[in-house]
Amino acid sequence: MGDLGELFGSLVMIFMTAAITNNFILSQFLGICPFLGVSKEVPTAFSMGLATTFVMTTSAVCVWAVNSLILVPLGLGYLKYVAFILVIASFVQLTEMVIKKVSPPLYKALGIFLPLITTNCAILGLALMIPMNNYNFIESTIFGLGAGAGFTLAIVLMAGMRERLEFADVPAALKGAPITLLIAGLMAMAFMGFSGL
Amino acid sequence: MLTLWKDFVKGLWKENPVFVMLLGMCPTLAVTNTATNGLAMGLATSFVLLGSGIVNSLVKRLIPDEVRIPSFIVIIATFVTIVDYSAKAYVPAIAESLKLFIPLIVVNCLILGRSESFASKQPVHRTIADALGMGVGFTWALTFLGIIREVIGFGTVFRGTSLAIQVMGEWFQPWLIMVLPAGAFLTLGTVLGVMNYFKNRAASVKVDLQDSTGESCHTV
Amino acid sequence: MGKEKIDIKLIVVLTSIMIISALVLSLVYQATTPLINEHAAQAKKEAILDVLPGAVKYEKLEKGGLELYQGLDEAGSPVGIAFQHEGNGFQGTIILMIGMDVENQKLLKVKILDQLDTPGLGARMAEEEFKGQFQGKSFSDNFVAKEDVDAIAGATISSQAVSNILKDAIATVEQAYSGGE
Repeated sequence: MGDLGELFGSLVMIFMTAAITNNFILSQFLGICPFLGVSKEVPTAFSMGLATTFVMTTSAVCVWAVNSLILVPLGLGYLKYVAFILVIASFVQLTEMVIKKVSPPLYKALGIFLPLITTNCAILGLALMIPMNNYNFIESTIFGLGAGAGFTLAIVLMAGMRERLEFADVPAALKGAPITLLIAGLMAMAFMGFSGL
Repeated sequence: MLTLWKDFVKGLWKENPVFVMLLGMCPTLAVTNTATNGLAMGLATSFVLLGSGIVNSLVKRLIPDEVRIPSFIVIIATFVTIVDYSAKAYVPAIAESLKLFIPLIVVNCLILGRSESFASKQPVHRTIADALGMGVGFTWALTFLGIIREVIGFGTVFRGTSLAIQVMGEWFQPWLIMVLPAGAFLTLGTVLGVMNYFKNRAASVKVDLQDSTGESCHTV
Repeated sequence: MGKEKIDIKLIVVLTSIMIISALVLSLVYQATTPLINEHAAQAKKEAILDVLPGAVKYEKLEKGGLELYQGLDEAGSPVGIAFQHEGNGFQGTIILMIGMDVENQKLLKVKILDQLDTPGLGARMAEEEFKGQFQGKSFSDNFVAKEDVDAIAGATISSQAVSNILKDAIATVEQAYSGGE
């Protein structure tokens, strides 16, 4: 029992760290492009978050498998970057095809975001952190899930604020990217409060 | 010759990848906590930009359209690995401070974006001019942000190197926030705001920054 | 890319790009690895001498299955032992080189060899202001951040992680010493 409790505790810790204290967007600057680009409205932001979470979790598993079952045993660590980006790119492609066949409504909701996810650095960042942290199969999955949840949280919060901002009187010079970045700065400060936990 | 010059110069200011096109935001925010890091990251990215631009421009005729993006990504990832290992071998201190962000050059929108929109259409010599211009533009932008954050956050410039200069006097209490993640967002937001202000006053053609963010990364 | 028919040319092109890429990278890997290892070895050597003030050379020491480094001063008398120990940080593994004076039950000096924590926050553990406080700290202290260890502002977890690794290292070394006698 004790062991099980400890295992569960460490998994919760991995999840919370990835989602909140080490939020990919606000404290590690991973995935800034979609964060700035796809955060104008809450529903789209939420779909983007879901699609990203899905790809993050599944590619975390694939990357773990490729790294610990192929690259490490064969001593091919130097092909890591090439291999990971290919795994992610092909995985995104595969996900797109499967969703299209299995659930057309879901495809309609997520479809347009999927190709963009390949160049989302949050995914490659996640992939690179797995071997660095020596995560095992379950830990990798939870890590992917947590990172995705954190990503969704940040992008949805941002979209909520930007919807309100439509009605605010923003100085002309700050319209668009500058005010978005300033808000992100304030959010990052708020999230810093969690790191003292 | 004039075309080449134009290809080069546009990256410096008019189409600056950071301040105007808002490309490569992740490293721009993440590694600009000191001037040294910004400069090093800019140089590493420029090298990949140049190398992969040349190769992609040379092989563009051999690659069928369907696999163009996967091929480009592999070529880019190869150059990034070269930079990563060379940095670890020759400048270990810098490799240490940039860590994860060297491999992440692979997914820097700037690189794939330039390969797609420029190198895949133009001859090699123009690609070189374009890559150099974009590289210098990216490097100066990162170094500039690094200097601002380091001066306010630590009171120094190029700390940790032999060029280190103490800019602020003893009286200065460094603003820690500037070197933290929040400071990165605030600095870039403020710099862009100030630049917009002057642009608006000059009544030049207003670049719609928001739209360029949305598209540049996503057309890829 | 959604085509049903797969063109043979696509496969040939992609495969040859991969092969060329793998060849280039294996060359780069072979060329740079000796240098990278050399840097790592050099860094380790410097770290050992750094955490043992007064030491000019060191020798390897096996005790209870642990790999320790005994530092010697110019006269050849021992000044303390260095021990490399790692543990989980906020974001990844933190590797420390720890200099200890086992006889007097205190820490000599601590050096952070590797860590992945947040730049500007947790990463400040490598700064003298934080790690310097462990100098001369007694083995019997509690090693609790915000109590007997001054935490880095905004990085309590990182600060506690370092403290935990130190405490664990002390226990490991002490056990090795008591087990050996």
